[in-house]
Amino acid sequence: MTTAPPRPPRTDARAERLPEIPGPGETVVLLWRRLRRMSTALYLLLALAAVSIVATFVPQEPVIPTTVADWRAGIEGPGAEVAAGLDALGLFDIYGSWWFATLVVLLFVSLTGCLIPRVRGFVRQARRAPAPGQNLGRLTHHRTVDSPLPPDQAVAAAATTLRRRRLRTRVRPAEGSPTGNAQVAAERGHAREGGSIAFHLSFYLLAAGAMVGVWFGFESQVNVVEGESFADTPVGYDSYEPGRFFGQGDHDGFTVELDEFAAEYHPGQDTGDGPQSSLIASEFASRISVHEGDEVAAQGTVAVNEPFHHGATSIYQIRFGFAPELTVRTEGGTELHADTTNLIESDDLVWTGVAAVERTDVDNQIALDLALLPDATVEGGRLTSASNEPDDPLLAVSVWYGSLGLERNRPAAEFDREAGTRLDESLLLEPGETGSLDALPLEVTFEGLPYWSGFQVAQEPGHGLLLAGAGLLLVGLVPSLFAYRRRVWVDAAPAAHGGSHVTLAGVARQRAETFAEAWPDLADALTTAVDGRDEPADQTTDDARPGSHDPTGETR
Amino acid sequence: MLDLPLGDLSNALFNAAFITYLVAMVLAFARLAFTRVGVGGAPLTTRGAGLWAGRGATALAIVGAAVHLGSIVTRGLAAGHVPWSNMYEYSSFLAFGTVVVGLVVVQRRLGYGHLMGFVLALAILSMTSALLLFTEPTPLVPSLQSWWINVHTSAAMGASTIFIIGFMATALYLVKRTAERRVGISGTGAAPTKPAGADTAPAEPGAGEPTLREDGEGFDDFVTDSDDPHDAATDPLAQRDALSPVTFPGLPFLLVSLYAFWVWGSPVVALLAGSVAALLGISVWYAVPKLPPSDKLDQLAYRMTAFAFPIWTFAVIAGALWAQEAWGRYWGWDPKETGSFFTWVLYAGYLHARSTRGWRGTRAAWLGVAAFIALAVTYYAVNLFVVGLHSYAGV
Ligand code: HEM
Repeated sequence: MTTAPPRPPRTDARAERLPEIPGPGETVVLLWRRLRRMSTALYLLLALAAVSIVATFVPQEPVIPTTVADWRAGIEGPGAEVAAGLDALGLFDIYGSWWFATLVVLLFVSLTGCLIPRVRGFVRQARRAPAPGQNLGRLTHHRTVDSPLPPDQAVAAAATTLRRRRLRTRVRPAEGSPTGNAQVAAERGHAREGGSIAFHLSFYLLAAGAMVGVWFGFESQVNVVEGESFADTPVGYDSYEPGRFFGQGDHDGFTVELDEFAAEYHPGQDTGDGPQSSLIASEFASRISVHEGDEVAAQGTVAVNEPFHHGATSIYQIRFGFAPELTVRTEGGTELHADTTNLIESDDLVWTGVAAVERTDVDNQIALDLALLPDATVEGGRLTSASNEPDDPLLAVSVWYGSLGLERNRPAAEFDREAGTRLDESLLLEPGETGSLDALPLEVTFEGLPYWSGFQVAQEPGHGLLLAGAGLLLVGLVPSLFAYRRRVWVDAAPAAHGGSHVTLAGVARQRAETFAEAWPDLADALTTAVDGRDEPADQTTDDARPGSHDPTGETR
Repeated sequence: MLDLPLGDLSNALFNAAFITYLVAMVLAFARLAFTRVGVGGAPLTTRGAGLWAGRGATALAIVGAAVHLGSIVTRGLAAGHVPWSNMYEYSSFLAFGTVVVGLVVVQRRLGYGHLMGFVLALAILSMTSALLLFTEPTPLVPSLQSWWINVHTSAAMGASTIFIIGFMATALYLVKRTAERRVGISGTGAAPTKPAGADTAPAEPGAGEPTLREDGEGFDDFVTDSDDPHDAATDPLAQRDALSPVTFPGLPFLLVSLYAFWVWGSPVVALLAGSVAALLGISVWYAVPKLPPSDKLDQLAYRMTAFAFPIWTFAVIAGALWAQEAWGRYWGWDPKETGSFFTWVLYAGYLHARSTRGWRGTRAAWLGVAAFIALAVTYYAVNLFVVGLHSYAGV
């Protein structure tokens, strides 16, 4: 055994560390060490990237639930079987899945692991005076000059020049210097590491801000018709998602009335195969009043890109639509229904919805299928709408009756079409017009055409943290990429004539090219300084010529 | 509000710029062809016809860019809003930015004028995609009517143009480095000699600071007597022979023509697109000996990417602020948002990789390529094929 050649020293630190069977404590230590490695961070980042690319192409339930439903049903996407597989892996809600959370936590553990030693090192380094240099002649950039000044004075003069260029300096007399000569050491560029640390720290702020928002805020949506109101309470909203730690008492509890809604449309224009600009609302806005108790606490406008803030709550304009107001009476004049119905644009320029008229008598319910043409014209014998401008609204009403299942607590549009019967006749009404049916003893009046307006209402704490995080991120990022550390030494050895032999040397930790460009100028300034004269000395030997081996210095 | 004659003028200027760029590109490649390789590290030289071709290329590129700017401005006037609200406008602007950054940085600052052919080729590709996605100027939907569109979109596009140049450098680096390695030139792509296992830099004179980390740039610049990798350069033309003259046109031809066939279903279009790709591929192969040394290309790639990254970061942040105003949520993992985040993470990965042992060099460069592909996919695919809130910004 002893005759075996000595093994080369093992340099693989990981292999050295690996004990035979790690105990639980050692496993944690090992994992921690592993997580602190830059390459681990890189793999985690790549995993994050891989996850987000999947999420780009697989529809995400919180974002577009309808598409996800279509994928599950096999109507869209790669088919129901594949969708079931995706579902099992949680791929329809990646950002809500446990493994995404794990990934983020690992990344933050890794980040912390990286940052602790970096911050410590940074603080130590920022406090420490610039270290003295040896073997200066071996550095990339160096120059030797003869100075008429004695060493101490030459060094002091150089130090002044360096400080003027905002380098931190430390002058060492001959006794304290490793070269045995008076020397000034200078450095600059801590902003790089400081910026990088600030940049990485900003992720904690961002995460904290996001978490505060998710836990202590709420988000909801509500549609209101002109002249009506909604209340800032959990039941006041159409959809309501409180954060985990958001209590009922945290609501501001006001009531919002939609005074008026206005939409403007681009003039119609034949754009060939481009989008028809008449479809596009150029502007839409809601005028609202906020009531607290019996008082009007605030009034204002909500528009896209123009949210309304009241108390801790913000109101955003999200969508809008038409809400025709109908009255339905029996022939005897009994009012069965007087209400508005929110329509949505289901086809270009055609707005549809369902009005549930009679829900109590389970076997004898009535529902109205509505289709609105805001700007009705006859084109080629067909009824169409010329635009979304409600210039000539025409409402088509078809009537369903039977056991429509309206008593179920579901949107009216989802009534049971299988179980019901549709009347053959339908009504075409203009505003103010009343139509009566032959087959049923009913009269329908199209009373008017207000708008409905869709709001997002939310409390979003944590925005301050997020903004601070974003700011810190940018403020840190720029120096972390563009600042660079460099050190400069000026070392003066006593010369026979009472002057000194001065060595100037510099090295850059990063951006060697930039430093190479800056060096001649710096060296000239230092030469002038130690020379005591105005002209740069001419007997210098400059050993660094930037780009001297670049074969692309082409004749142009 | 929509002034179509102005729109027509914009289109005419666009076409003029397109043709000018095409001619400039041909001249720039001619210049490259007439550029002679110096042996043993001697500089490249261009004489006679090459010199004139180069001057012509530069002049035409400048004229083209000026005309192109005219097209962008008139487009904005025609639409009555900033000319970057749909894919056509983005792509047009990107091409313009690419030419400008190419002229200013690649040619002026760095003196790599003989690479302008590649810059112009990328610009022309972007303009071609603009042509394919052409739409008439339209008014803005309300959510785009915001001060933020100027901030967010211009930052995103500014960053993208710089990323494009960075990508060009990265791709050329990969080719050049491969060639160099095959002829036996060591380079900075290889891990610098240092004790493995330690994440600290080797002792620097007078300072054994363990907290100094190695960095992407300049690690090898501590000591003068390091090997100059280019002393080993034998005949640069050997680099060309080290690369396959079949793969270089062949692979792009195959990929691009298959893709074109898949999209347009026309063999003629597929053949045409494939041939253009093959031409580009073979010019890269031909240019290999004339490319700057791989470490210079790597540096260019890094600089461009590092410069663009904060701008991109800012664009993403501005986007989040805008989404907050417009939709009441700053981030919703909408496909476009996810895509930008993905791109951002990959570029951050590239920046990390360049200072990570075992990753710097070609591995990091591949990450850079991946990041750029992500950028392009976010740009095109998400708008074209994926449904989300951003889709209105669509074609
Ligand atoms: C949350 C995800 C992260 C992002 C987006 C990110 C991004 C960045 C960026 C953009 C840089 C600047 C690159 C440069 O200076 O060249 C950087 C530097 C750095 N990051 Fe991260 N980082 C992340 C996480 C981490 C983690 C977990 C670690 C620890 C393992 C880490 C360690 C470092 C180090 C050591 C540097 C300095 C490299 C240098 O200055 O050359 N980062 N990071």
